[in-house]
Amino acid sequence: MDRSLPPSPNEAIKANSRYLRGTIADGLTRVETGALSDDDQQLTKFHGIYLQDDRDLRAERGRKKMEKAFSFMARLRVPGGVLTPAQWLAAETIARERGNGTLRLTTRQTIQFHGIIKSNLRLAISGLNDAMLDTIAACGDVNRNVIATANPWESRGHAEVAALAQAIGTHLLPKSRAWHEIWIDGEQHTGGEEEDEPIYGRTYMPRKFKIAVALPPHNDVDVFAHDLGFIAIREGDRVAGYNVVVGGGMGMTHGEPDTFPRTGDVIGFCRPDQVVDIAEKVVTIQRDSGNRSDRKHARLKYTIERIGLPAFCMELERRLGYSLSPAQDFAFTDNGDRLGWAHGDDGALHYTLFVENGRVRDLPDRQLLSGLHAIAELGVGRFIITANQNLVIADITPQQKRAVGELLRAHGIDAPVSGLRRNSIACVALPTCGLALAESERYLPSLVARLEDQLEQLGLAQDDITIRMTGCPNGCARPYLAEIALVGRAPGLYHLYLGGAFNGTRLNKLYRKDVDGDAIIAALSPLLREYAGQRRDGERFGDYAIRAGHVRPTTAGNTFHDDLAPELRS
Amino acid sequence: MPGLPMLPETAPFPAEQITALNRIMSATNAEQRTWLSGFLSGYQAANAPQPAAAAAPARRAPLTILFATESGNAESLADVARKAASKLGFAARVLDMADATPAQVAAAQNLLVIASTWGEGDPPQRAIDFHAALMAEDAPRFDGVRYAVLALGDRAYAKFCETGRLFDERFAALGGTRVADRIECDLDYDVAANAWLGGTLTQLQAGLGEPDAGAAVIHVDFARAPLEASAYNRTRPFEAEITERIKLSGSRSTSETWHVEVSLAGSGIVYEPGDSLGFLPSNDPALVDAVLMATGLSGDAALRAALSERFDITTLTRKQVADYARLIGDASLAEDVAFADGRQVIDLLSAAPHGLSAEQLTSLLRPLPPRYYSVASSLKTVPDEAHLLVAAVRYETHGRARSGVASVDLADRRNAGERLKVFVKPNLHFRLPTDPQRPIIMIGPGTGVAPFRAFMQERDAVGARGKSWLVFGHRHYTHDFLYQLEWQDLLKRGVLSRLDVAFSRDQPEKRYVQHALWDARRDLHAWVQDGAVIYVCGDANAMAKDVHATLQRIVGDQALDALRREGRYLRDVY
Repeated sequence: MDRSLPPSPNEAIKANSRYLRGTIADGLTRVETGALSDDDQQLTKFHGIYLQDDRDLRAERGRKKMEKAFSFMARLRVPGGVLTPAQWLAAETIARERGNGTLRLTTRQTIQFHGIIKSNLRLAISGLNDAMLDTIAACGDVNRNVIATANPWESRGHAEVAALAQAIGTHLLPKSRAWHEIWIDGEQHTGGEEEDEPIYGRTYMPRKFKIAVALPPHNDVDVFAHDLGFIAIREGDRVAGYNVVVGGGMGMTHGEPDTFPRTGDVIGFCRPDQVVDIAEKVVTIQRDSGNRSDRKHARLKYTIERIGLPAFCMELERRLGYSLSPAQDFAFTDNGDRLGWAHGDDGALHYTLFVENGRVRDLPDRQLLSGLHAIAELGVGRFIITANQNLVIADITPQQKRAVGELLRAHGIDAPVSGLRRNSIACVALPTCGLALAESERYLPSLVARLEDQLEQLGLAQDDITIRMTGCPNGCARPYLAEIALVGRAPGLYHLYLGGAFNGTRLNKLYRKDVDGDAIIAALSPLLREYAGQRRDGERFGDYAIRAGHVRPTTAGNTFHDDLAPELRS
Repeated sequence: MPGLPMLPETAPFPAEQITALNRIMSATNAEQRTWLSGFLSGYQAANAPQPAAAAAPARRAPLTILFATESGNAESLADVARKAASKLGFAARVLDMADATPAQVAAAQNLLVIASTWGEGDPPQRAIDFHAALMAEDAPRFDGVRYAVLALGDRAYAKFCETGRLFDERFAALGGTRVADRIECDLDYDVAANAWLGGTLTQLQAGLGEPDAGAAVIHVDFARAPLEASAYNRTRPFEAEITERIKLSGSRSTSETWHVEVSLAGSGIVYEPGDSLGFLPSNDPALVDAVLMATGLSGDAALRAALSERFDITTLTRKQVADYARLIGDASLAEDVAFADGRQVIDLLSAAPHGLSAEQLTSLLRPLPPRYYSVASSLKTVPDEAHLLVAAVRYETHGRARSGVASVDLADRRNAGERLKVFVKPNLHFRLPTDPQRPIIMIGPGTGVAPFRAFMQERDAVGARGKSWLVFGHRHYTHDFLYQLEWQDLLKRGVLSRLDVAFSRDQPEKRYVQHALWDARRDLHAWVQDGAVIYVCGDANAMAKDVHATLQRIVGDQALDALRREGRYLRDVY
């Protein structure tokens, strides 16, 4: 990194935080404001907690002599996304009593609670703790929740990758006791005595760090979208080892072409027992080499772009003390979920439930919250959050299937949806996300509905096409890997991207700039019509868009902004 | 008119005058007759033959005027009585029941008692001790004490004027001599009370046998309610321009609270933090229409104007049910006066519709009383302005949507630039300590926070150094934190030393200000030890009682009583 530039302000905040304590505990006692100090807002992220405000209400607040309508978002750490029914019920109770009454399943296999006001925050977190759940390192400049394929068809393999995700997450968990001190016990554990973060050090990572574990043939975790990925390679029903993927990442900044999404590079193969060690060493390389001056360039993908992949691999092998084996062959079919009932290897049953945009709440005709409550009350199986914001009700016996099925039906939550809708993902965006430039979760369903009319006429209603929307370019819905992507620019306006691969192996490309809903429909309608008429057998929409010349393929992150149509070049 | 006694034929009038008087009397209601009796007493006294000049008194007769006040009306009347009594030659002294004991009062020769009733028949809070001591078995004898009682109340409550009645009966039972029948006054007490005072003072004086010739002519000014020091009062309000009107509650709040600023420029009106601003509201035009429609009087424009501005067309009393039943000859309704409970005038008119004349309708109705709001500002911070904090009252009873006359008038029908009829009503018992160093604890949930905004503006403006502690509460932190940014600023600048909050609906378990007080009990105790004055403002029914009970638990029953007697536990509850 360029050491001539001053470190970003966050570096001093971290360094002076006494291992993530700051003045959070004091700030929680200040009843006159629903917020925390600016520095503490940075530190709570390491505890899985974001200060947000209801942006719908911003305009009225000052005139009403009230500060912004602050509340907190708390994000669970759930390696592999696996919850017990009791944990699901506990989460639901926290949402109802302390939050806004909804649960938000995320693209990183966890649950977000929104709308927790300050007076409820400690009670919410300690309530989660009572259910053996925590929010440690769910955000912040640390390794985040480790995600893993939620694949009900492959129980044994799934169990292995889920266990691996758990092991990685545990190994990379910050050692600071600050979370317990602030949120659970309310007292100093250390009395100021020096703690140690053997992996992270006092200033933790330069930026967030994300790890995913994928189990082919499904790439539901979008393994190329994370700083570090592991692709399971099977021999028979056992996982023989993992291909290692480094340098993926979604976020970029509008108007700054030196920021870009990047698909990770496969650099070799390792044994299962080497994975945790490799994860640690990749983390420490990024800890030492990542850019700590400019947070827009502080992800591992920019480190690798800067020093080059060969140099990175050499450094990794130097730290490991051994070399990776050559990468093994693998193939991904898709990056989505397969909805409905499925049989596992061992005869257990799994139901993958479509949860539109991950928002669990009761609507008049679709009572997700109540339905899942009733199913959880049965006390059977597991609740597995998928990286596509859906939910697997896993490990159900044939005897229990009927009861679960009846509850799904009774609450109207097993109704079939179109191929486009079941492959749609939207980030939270407005009103709570501070970064959002445009609507996302509240808008995508209606946009999909407009396209569904057309798809129905074209006979494409049940064709799987991925569509992802985000309210800003930071990429929480992994938009740059979708066949159709809409990235917010300003209220009502989006950049439209096309040509991502259906299996998550290729980034998409800008197709239209600053288009509103009507222009989006006008742009997509002729393409879908063409696709319906001219696609080859089994050809995916993203592939067709490239073959037909509507966009050039993006072969590497650093060419994401290249090869644009003339009118799009800025 | 059956049931009412008629002037006998032997009355000292010509026959046609007896007939005329009987006709007039039969058309009067009880209040009018009360008024008339007071008027005639005063009239008689004023025109009585003057005693010989030689009989001029050697000394002025003592008169104790004892008042029990909650909202300040009884206290104002006591002052009126003192002035009138002085003119009559009494050496009058005014005594607040809060500061008096029965033993003290039993020593009086002449006693005028002015007592208001609070809520469901209770004595005013500040008179509780006196009331209890007077009712106790060991109460002193009142033999030889010549007394009369003026009772204030609100006919909307079943135990109308209960406190005055109990005092009156108790004084008699303890041997006192009642020199005039008790008068029971409703909200529009001014004229009747003044008339009664004139007559009663005369009777008290007559019994002395040594009237003061120089003060024999009583001047009772019936045209003017002499309650307020200012040039403006409830009968002559100032037309203040609304300069700002903001709905403070968030758009998602389940409550509706308005901040209203009015300009007092040019009025010369002054107020102190703690005082109230009286406001003469107009009735909901839709309700006026409904009343006119129900009585078949829709075409009467003059009546429409009168109903809008001058008559109470909402509150329904049992007496009104009885009066209406008699008017329309409905025997079953006459037996069902409890119909009034929870209902309003329009329910009565709709339940038994009957065409009325304008006079019949207005004789049925009480005058529209002013509404009072604690001023939420200090003139030292906002010269020539008064700020009000108004919670719009909306609810449903008996299948009809109801709205608070004044609050919804302000919330729905008044815009910036329009004028409000206002006047100041001082509240001498809810003032900042004279010592700016003295700590204050302000407990004011909801609109109860209004006077504390005034207190803080005042203390800020004068640079008072005493510590200040606000305990605020409402439903939702996010949507109901009234004046949040101002409290933040006051805290930052150290004008406000401490803030505690309780929002009832932010969590499964209800949390109110008394819970915040209990949580902070150790500190509260310490503040009281340091000489703090405790103020409570807001809802009288639940909040003030719960806070009182909690304060009793924290500082102890007797200690809290002592604080109250010392003027260190002050309440403005409604």
